Amino acid sequence: MKKLLAILICAMMVASIFAISASADDVVEITYSYWGTPEEAASVQAVADKFNAEQDRIHVTVLAIPNEEYTTTLNSMAAGNQLPDCGIMNENGVLDFAADGLLADISSMYEGAESMPLDAITFKADGKPVAYSAANEILFLYYNKDMFDAAGVAYPDPKTPYTWDEFVETAKLLTLDGNGNNAASPDFDPNNIVQYGCNVDNWTWQLEVWALSNGGAWFAPDGSACTINTPEVAESIQKVADLYLVDHVMQFRDGLEDSGIQSTIAAGNVAMATGGTWNVGTCMNLATFPYGVAPLPVMKKEVTICTGGPQVVFAQGDHQAEAMEFIKWYTKEENSWDSLIATGIWMPILEEYYVNEELTHKWVDNPNFSMGYENFKTSVVDYAHDYAVSTCWYYVPHTNEFLEYLRSELGSVWTGDISAADALSHAEAHLIEIFEGY
Amino acid sequence: MGRRKKRRNALLRSETRTAYLCLIPSIIGLIFLTYIPLMEVFGLSFFSWKGNGFSGFKFVGLNNYIRLLTTDPYFKQSVLVTMYYTLMAVIGSMIYSLIIALLLNRKIPARGFWRAIFYLPYLLPAVAVYLGWNWLYNINYGLFNYIINRVFGLPRIGFINDAKLVAPSLALISVWLAGNLIVIFLAGLQNVPRSYLEAAEVDGASSWQRFWFITVPVISPIIFYNLLMALITNLQVITPALALTKGGPGSASRFVSYVMYQYAFENRKFGYAAAVSVMLFILIGIFTVILFATSRSWMFQQGGDDNE
Repeated sequence: MKKLLAILICAMMVASIFAISASADDVVEITYSYWGTPEEAASVQAVADKFNAEQDRIHVTVLAIPNEEYTTTLNSMAAGNQLPDCGIMNENGVLDFAADGLLADISSMYEGAESMPLDAITFKADGKPVAYSAANEILFLYYNKDMFDAAGVAYPDPKTPYTWDEFVETAKLLTLDGNGNNAASPDFDPNNIVQYGCNVDNWTWQLEVWALSNGGAWFAPDGSACTINTPEVAESIQKVADLYLVDHVMQFRDGLEDSGIQSTIAAGNVAMATGGTWNVGTCMNLATFPYGVAPLPVMKKEVTICTGGPQVVFAQGDHQAEAMEFIKWYTKEENSWDSLIATGIWMPILEEYYVNEELTHKWVDNPNFSMGYENFKTSVVDYAHDYAVSTCWYYVPHTNEFLEYLRSELGSVWTGDISAADALSHAEAHLIEIFEGY
Repeated sequence: MGRRKKRRNALLRSETRTAYLCLIPSIIGLIFLTYIPLMEVFGLSFFSWKGNGFSGFKFVGLNNYIRLLTTDPYFKQSVLVTMYYTLMAVIGSMIYSLIIALLLNRKIPARGFWRAIFYLPYLLPAVAVYLGWNWLYNINYGLFNYIINRVFGLPRIGFINDAKLVAPSLALISVWLAGNLIVIFLAGLQNVPRSYLEAAEVDGASSWQRFWFITVPVISPIIFYNLLMALITNLQVITPALALTKGGPGSASRFVSYVMYQYAFENRKFGYAAAVSVMLFILIGIFTVILFATSRSWMFQQGGDDNE
């Protein structure tokens, strides 16, 4: 009897092993990594489940990693040969991952497609695409209409940006001390400011736009040289620092984190703030005041920078073809429409949304864009199409380390201990060393 | 007699066997989780490796160490910053915890409650602690600056935004967190024989003399232990940089551990980061040796020296 039982158990075990391997043959399990909270991941899993339901060969599970740990977690996983099959990536690590053989070739992703992603958001190594951003995000100016109304100041023009001087003068009129004096008044008390006129985000990567605006550039346009130590770049950084140090129209910012919108205009104590498109859907949607948008102020040249984390297929997995199939499906606009594009968090990557007004209406004509269709279309959609250039990480490697070192050197510029010119002169040799790779 | 000895030997052997059996899990843990990784880190420090499989390993000899000691933009300053922070944090927490322990050792009302209160910070999750201190220190919305600026009308102070103030400000948090040192000091203080103190009092010694000539020598092994623990813990500091300052402003709070973390986990320079951690290991080793060497001259050996 005992023997019979033992044989039966063995037979069941063998059968279950075969059953497992048979089901494993049928459905390929792949993992997709995403940055964000478990709640955000749940909404991404809902999208993945749509893919899972549409076919029966591939099953996608979403792996949620907190935003602030995303890069370090992926790097650790890479070291342990444990990278997920596919996922979204921080922009500043893409070219390094590609160079180190950690990304699969996705150059065929848009083969034969009618509309290609915007060229400015295509990551390239030696001119060849290695990844496409999943979203397009540009920098522009948000403003609090109530504060403009209270100060009797006209709203920024949605088409013609402020010059830098106009921007500073407007910010002075909107900066108020505890006695109600604005920063243009001789009685203004800079030690008792209760409302700031502006915030120009000094989170390091965003400073590149001011270099370009001032006629300089951190890198040669083809990524062949680092040109950061020039008077134009130094002046662009100094102008941002002086908003706090000299003009008293901006609160102190240490440039350490991405909270330029949340902790300023969205918090209700700043009249104008620069930031990326994603804020439309991540924090300005919670604002309790009416707001508008406008292009960035101009130092010498109209420009903005664009960026967006790419969806990539990692090269350590055994199911790259299936991962590629999912990514190809996932990057279709309609699959991230409700959760990301219609909410204003992502801008579409395909050019047709910027040139075909019918599609632009489909995208922007909804209550999530509370500033109104015309305002967003003129100041953001058209501006993104006409004036946006790639952030440096689309064509320059090692930008994570580059930005970190630059940030460390600029710390004393924000506090006024050294000038931007001195900081860049001091930093140049190491920045070039990092740029060239060591 | 012989049989009894034999039985005792057998008992001893079986006890030894049991002891070794009990030790096996921790020995395995030590070998596989501590010593082998330690040796791997040491080996890795002679390679360049970007976490991209076996083919990515490139032997670079001493190059990682040479760059670290010559052209690295962070390392030298990070050693100075770490030592500066450690000096303040160790001295501060030793004095603070000894004073609090002396007070708690007296017959005060609700002594248990106060002991719990001072030990509590040590039990809080580190990130929550630093987030809380950020709400105190923040230059724009922190409580301290609200009082300084709004109540007294004085200019705001960048506690963690000013390169000169950031290390002392972070060291203050470390002092506040020193609840474990207080508990150990308290245990030491309760071992000071009352008869010594009473005899000295009869001889007319002041309370300061009783403290300096009786209490301090008796608890000197405890002081040594606390000093050693505080030194090692603070030299390994990384949490404030991770949770609060990101090494800034500039590099004024870029501790050695944080430099290692950045190279390894943010920039995938694992070989180079391994060299940083070997250097930190050496640094801690040097300070520990110095402490041990000097302790002979000031530590009171109550139980005699085993070596003699």
